[in-house]
Amino acid sequence: MFLPSVLAASSFVEVRPGLIFWTIVTFVIVLLVLRAKAWGPILSLVEEREKQIANAIESAKRERAEAEKLLADQKTAIAEARREAAETTRRVQAESEKFRDELMAKSRKEAEELKLSARREIEDQKTKAIAEIRAMAVDLAVEVAGKLINERMDDAKHRALAEQFVQGLPGATSATATRRSA
Amino acid sequence: MRKAMVLFACLFAGTVWASSQAGEHGVANEDKDAEGEDVAGYILHHVSDSNEYEFEVPLSHNHIPIHLPQILIPLKEGACTPVADPHGGHGEVYPGLGAGCLDLSITKHTVMMWLAALLLIGSLMIWSNRDKTKLVPRGAGANLFEMLVLFVRDELAIKNIGKEEGPRYVPYLLTAFFFILFMNLLGLFPWMATATGNIAITCGLALCTFFVTQAAGIRAAGIGGYLKHLTGGVAPWLWPIMIPVEFLGLFTKPFALTIRLFANMLAGHIVIFFLLGLIFMLRNPAVALVSVPFAFGIYLLELFVAFVQAYVFTMLSALFIGMSVAMGHHHDDHHEGGASHDHGKAHHLG
Repeated sequence: MFLPSVLAASSFVEVRPGLIFWTIVTFVIVLLVLRAKAWGPILSLVEEREKQIANAIESAKRERAEAEKLLADQKTAIAEARREAAETTRRVQAESEKFRDELMAKSRKEAEELKLSARREIEDQKTKAIAEIRAMAVDLAVEVAGKLINERMDDAKHRALAEQFVQGLPGATSATATRRSA
Repeated sequence: MRKAMVLFACLFAGTVWASSQAGEHGVANEDKDAEGEDVAGYILHHVSDSNEYEFEVPLSHNHIPIHLPQILIPLKEGACTPVADPHGGHGEVYPGLGAGCLDLSITKHTVMMWLAALLLIGSLMIWSNRDKTKLVPRGAGANLFEMLVLFVRDELAIKNIGKEEGPRYVPYLLTAFFFILFMNLLGLFPWMATATGNIAITCGLALCTFFVTQAAGIRAAGIGGYLKHLTGGVAPWLWPIMIPVEFLGLFTKPFALTIRLFANMLAGHIVIFFLLGLIFMLRNPAVALVSVPFAFGIYLLELFVAFVQAYVFTMLSALFIGMSVAMGHHHDDHHEGGASHDHGKAHHLG
């Protein structure tokens, strides 16, 4: 076969120390140049971009949270206002009801009092009237009695009775006068 | 997407044309086996490193050899005198490092590596000169580039090394990823060669990762902790066994990185060239109907492999660094768990 002889004669499996040396030198130079001129700038650029993106996402998140918080606040405020309004309505209603009830009770009481006082007045008047009637009846009776007595004074028996009556009631005339004036 | 397909087809056509030169060299030879050897020799010559860059002039059979400077540093007096080729080839070669001669010659692959480095630095300079006030990337190029950068940072560095120590190694991993990627991709262009298909270059890259890994270990655990880790945490009487094992373990990692990248990048090219070489070896133009679509498929696969191997090298580097960093805090079970999990994934991909 020809291949082994070709391989033996060719230099492609030969390791040349000089080339290793040049490779390392070239690599180190390329590394130093690129680190200063390319990798530094590109890596810092990429990092800056990553930072900006992260910041943007962060701020978007923060703003969203803030907006949500605001929305929640608004909702709470609206609910609060609604609740307050309902409360006020209810309170006003209750108050007016109470006021009406009170008013009713008061008027009823007043009416009752009025009735009572009227009844008392009637009673008073009645009592007064009865008393007056009674007084008049007495007067009448006395007068009637007086008349009866005067006509039968001739009679000695009645005369003695009237005298006894008069002696028995020493202030009878003055009493009748008092009653008449009242 | 369509534009990209047209571009790949054009690049591929360039590669096909380049390999047709190989066939024409072989046609003159009558012996079939010898012709096969000639095609194979051409292919291996094409993927091998060399002291000259052969510029193949379009639409002609001319090759313009461009001789690259040879730099020989004798470590001993008179060590760099040329000797006869020990493989029996023509001409003379210089003795190796063992004989005291340091060969720092600029080769084809050195040039390709430097070209890739310049392209990488140049394109990133263009990128960094754009409007910096705009944070949002515009265009497919900027987006792809940022996607890769973020991938290396988040998926490789942070996941394998950890959130605290990871960012420290991001520049290294990014450089390794893009440098290897550019070298891999450069080899897919006509007139270009794949620097990462050279074992010395992948060895150099793996050594960089090796140094960074050891530095990360010493940084995380201190010199004492680092040396203690070499004993594997076993009873002292087992140390004579454990220390060589752990010491070897240090070198198997960069060795695996070296071979994986080298073999992957070399294999695709060799397969493409052989598929096209079949046309000339079988001397039948009809073979082209099969081998050209096949070679195009392999070419597209290579494009994918260029990214995958850059990724695998970077991922394994991150993993090794992560294991070294984990030396400093063994109580961190979660981190170790994550590292071993990725280790499994790495073997699957590698």
